[in-house]
Amino acid sequence: MTKRGSSFGTFKTNDTSTDFGLKPVRTEFGGSSPETLYTISRESCWSRWRRGYELATASLYHNSFDYPFTYKIPLPTGTPGASGNQPAIPGVFRGFPTKNKELGVHWAGVRVAGSLRFDNVLDSSNVRASITSVSEDNEYWYVQLAGTWSTSNPLPAPLYIPIAGTDGIKPTNGEVIEDRIITPEGVPITRETINPNTQTRYGYVQAVLADVNPSTGLLTLRKRGSVEATPDQVLVTPATRPPNIGRYFMTGTRYYCTCQDFTRRQYAYVSSLGKRKGNYFPRTRCATLQPGRYEVMKIAGKVANQAMTNAVTNRRLEVIAPSSKYEIPPTISATSSTKLGATRDNPGVFSDFGGVYIRSGADPSLPGAKSEGLPEYESYSAKNNVITSLTDRWTPTLDEFRYCKHIYAMKYEEGVFPPEPSDLPVGIRDITAWEQRLVDQTEKDQEGAAANINRYGLAYMDIPPFNCQSPMMVSMMQKLFNIPSTFVLLQNFIMYDKTGKAYTPSQGGTPVT
Amino acid sequence: MSNPNFGDIIETNFIYSDDQRAVRKYGDSVVQVSGQPATYHAGDVVHMPYQAGETSTIEAIGLAWSAFANGIDPAE
Repeated sequence: MTKRGSSFGTFKTNDTSTDFGLKPVRTEFGGSSPETLYTISRESCWSRWRRGYELATASLYHNSFDYPFTYKIPLPTGTPGASGNQPAIPGVFRGFPTKNKELGVHWAGVRVAGSLRFDNVLDSSNVRASITSVSEDNEYWYVQLAGTWSTSNPLPAPLYIPIAGTDGIKPTNGEVIEDRIITPEGVPITRETINPNTQTRYGYVQAVLADVNPSTGLLTLRKRGSVEATPDQVLVTPATRPPNIGRYFMTGTRYYCTCQDFTRRQYAYVSSLGKRKGNYFPRTRCATLQPGRYEVMKIAGKVANQAMTNAVTNRRLEVIAPSSKYEIPPTISATSSTKLGATRDNPGVFSDFGGVYIRSGADPSLPGAKSEGLPEYESYSAKNNVITSLTDRWTPTLDEFRYCKHIYAMKYEEGVFPPEPSDLPVGIRDITAWEQRLVDQTEKDQEGAAANINRYGLAYMDIPPFNCQSPMMVSMMQKLFNIPSTFVLLQNFIMYDKTGKAYTPSQGGTPVT
Repeated sequence: MSNPNFGDIIETNFIYSDDQRAVRKYGDSVVQVSGQPATYHAGDVVHMPYQAGETSTIEAIGLAWSAFANGIDPAE
């Protein structure tokens, strides 16, 4: 809930009383304001990075709320059933007990690395898409995939999906990919894998897929944020060498989170459980209302925004966009509608904080690069007071979508020590004392949140997979799995209990007690 | 793991020592955990070598997006 009394986002003249009140980054305007120096203490990526470490260590001590799953991908109507090993996405839901969340937990999701493999990408002659050559400039590597590609034989889905009358869509843009497959249908290498021919470790490179050229088979990988596993078993960033020729890509670990900080949305399921104080309805001040779109979930045409349903009742996502002039891209929703004056809020369910900071220009560390200048908030663009485009932000990348503390925590657990953000809080007299209090505060919050969970019980809240089609979770599922929301079906989840036994909730399966 | 099976995890940071398991608590009470507490964790790497004739995950996701772009729903 946004505090009253200020007309310009979170800019205030004095923040001495909020040094420890870490809150989501919700500033609507950029770094050009002189006041940002005063608010940076809490709107700081460094604070999230530091607090994420505390959450990671806390989860080693307390039982973390892990819900491992395998999601069986449904095939389209009319497609023959798959034989042999079924197409599936393995992953885990991670619940972070949260004190100020009415139902007690923020849910994050992980799709484990290796889920999508490029040795399964074939051209029309069934040639596998290995890496044949790499060129580069200051910002990107340009990776040529094996195979014969042309306008009439473009890269296959999901790398590129042609849509008549448009440029088509490229759902895999933004995926983190790694060159870890040496032989087709082989076991992915790890940091430790040793090349028997050289007796040194193979090593690999991880980078974000920035774009694909479907008619030439050329992948563009962003150097910024790339990671290299060196022969010394160390992860370094940015990578010092390009992906290895002859190997196959696979996807890296993919994260998503439903917390306010990451989604930039304040949300609530109207409930008096768990959170005993505070407001239940998110709202947005008129001053910050912007044109945009929002989503609602429906069952049989009726709005169903509750946290969870049973395991066999599926909801459908409907996107409401401002006007028929601004067509909703087909990447969002099959069912969509337009409403004049639509905003980015869904009253009573969530309020949107606004745009996302997009880094501009080349990497400042590169020779000849210009400084970044003012940050750019891409939510919509306008010319002569007429909206010319609405920007969809559903593309997670390594470092452009700022991580929340939950994803930082999971990165630590992954064994990746994320680079320390440079926006160390300033203007605080004793940084050591401040950091210690941050640690203490996090520990205290965790204990309080865990106690609340114990008191009110998970049964009263939202639990995967039953909540996977709630308004906040369904968009996370679409982004995490990278499939259309209509293909997220509750009955296709196979869950694993604490002993590793599989059970299917839609068939009445339950974990062992 | 020299010859993993389909779906096996080949890289993980979640092999707890006995000491680590011993100090894991739920709230303030000690709980018994048998085996590894979960199958997948953040940062795991899975082994999914789909073979010729099978529908791989990347292929199924492609089918889903293509069907979606053409207004086709999943088979339930």
